[in-house]
Amino acid sequence: MVDITQQDIDTVYPKVAATIADALGCDEDEVKRDASLINDLGAESIDFLDLVFRLERTFKVKIPRGKIVEDSRGALSEAEFEQKGLVTERGLAQLKAFLSEVPAERFRAPLKVAEIPRLFTTETFCKLVIRAQRA
Amino acid sequence: MTARRRVAITGLGLVTPAGNDVASTWATLQSGRSMGGPITIFDASGFSTRIAAEVKNFDPRAVIDDRRLLKYANRSHAFALAAADQAFADAGVRPTPATSPRWGLAVGTGMMGMGWPELSSLGLAAGDGEDVDPERLLASDTGRDPMVFCRAQNAAGLALLGRRHGIGGYATSVHTACASGGQAIGTAMKLIRRGTVDCALAGGFDSMVNPVGLAGFCLLGAVSPDNDDPTHASRPFDATRNGFVLGEGAGFVVLEAWEHALARGARIYAELAGDGNSLSSYRITDSHPSGDGPIQAMRWALADADATPDDVDYVNAHGTSTPMNDRSESAAIHVVFGDGAGRVSVSSTKSMMGHLIAAAGAVEAAICALSIHHGVLPVNANYVNPDPDCELNLVTGQARPHAVRVALSNSLGFGGSNSCLAFRHPEFDGGRA
Repeated sequence: MVDITQQDIDTVYPKVAATIADALGCDEDEVKRDASLINDLGAESIDFLDLVFRLERTFKVKIPRGKIVEDSRGALSEAEFEQKGLVTERGLAQLKAFLSEVPAERFRAPLKVAEIPRLFTTETFCKLVIRAQRA
Repeated sequence: MTARRRVAITGLGLVTPAGNDVASTWATLQSGRSMGGPITIFDASGFSTRIAAEVKNFDPRAVIDDRRLLKYANRSHAFALAAADQAFADAGVRPTPATSPRWGLAVGTGMMGMGWPELSSLGLAAGDGEDVDPERLLASDTGRDPMVFCRAQNAAGLALLGRRHGIGGYATSVHTACASGGQAIGTAMKLIRRGTVDCALAGGFDSMVNPVGLAGFCLLGAVSPDNDDPTHASRPFDATRNGFVLGEGAGFVVLEAWEHALARGARIYAELAGDGNSLSSYRITDSHPSGDGPIQAMRWALADADATPDDVDYVNAHGTSTPMNDRSESAAIHVVFGDGAGRVSVSSTKSMMGHLIAAAGAVEAAICALSIHHGVLPVNANYVNPDPDCELNLVTGQARPHAVRVALSNSLGFGGSNSCLAFRHPEFDGGRA
């Protein structure tokens, strides 16, 4: 897939940020580009389902549920990516590359697979939308 | 033997067609002004009944400072959140992380979780005929909106209230149609008596002012068709009554173990002293003409409250304004009070705010607490023509100043559920050793 440029992100950013603010019941200025939706904005699991639904409606795209986590594995098999619920070393490198918008210091081993969504930022969802638009 | 715990009502919250808080609702109930009017929430022009008592000028975002929580709230949940907020503010006490497990929650839950727009959209999306087309259903905006599913849960109101207020003890949702609100409050009282919790938030919420709710009540002939005169359509116990006026809203009370309330110097509106619950086991939508069912509920509530019929000064009747309910309830009042039936004051506040269905018993419990606190009995509005089957000492014309030792609140539901709550003046000790 062709790389996603900052310009691509900037194009969808305003609508994505507004959608996140709606879904999380916060003000738009609280939705920073590198804000972790869970750690900084208090998102819960159901909020992600709601957010993805809202993004689909706003951008008129289809986003299969669990898409980010699935895509984040890249070419790695499940066994290569995780072992006993923890992201492997190779997995972590792959994850850093895939979630290039997330500040590097936030990737700390050992990282539980279940904790991956904590890394997702506003720009992560911009990229999700862009990939769905290109699909 | 340890004495049974007494239960104090220390906080009230109301969102009703008569007002969006306790003060405005209470003022309307004293004025005798009936709040029926043309339905504005949806286009009711094709229905045989086109009137209701709606909650007006209610903006959830203006009164509830948690937008995320409102995402999970339908219209009736928003009423509940607002009324519960009021009750806590009024009581001046709320759960803390330390006291949370000692707080309970009992809620009379509204009948319908899914609004018409969602239902209609689902129906349109799911297929052309009677068969569901799962692909179309799951592709539709409503079918794949997780919030629609969350809001439609019968436990959604309970979950939202518990979360907003950090209630961590026993919580339950009650649904027994029009008896729900009363039974929820009675349940909370028993939780405190048993020592399961020390304090509780209890109440009810509902809004059936929607196409499906209205259609059902029109079909049953339960709602008044007096579209041209909505402020006189609800006339409980009047000989010309011809159905109820559909209302909506929420009522919540904060209940505390007596010693808990005293220890913090709380204002006690009234003692929640007893409840009686019976099932008429008769017919689904008919009340027993003899008053069987409500009779037992009232007697058990009085016994539970250590009170006799002579102690009762006020009955807030279920009084829906349907021919059958009012006749049956009058018969029950005559059986319970015997020769004293002419002495006890009776009013149905549904004459002014309509029938709040699952919220009715909770709102009317708050009204009984206010009647005791203020020594004023609200009006039974629109009573003009006496019905020989409903000879009661009705509070007509204007509110009646009257000291109240014991008040009863009846809530009688479709399906035969009968709830009666008994309230005592905090200083009335008659009947107690």
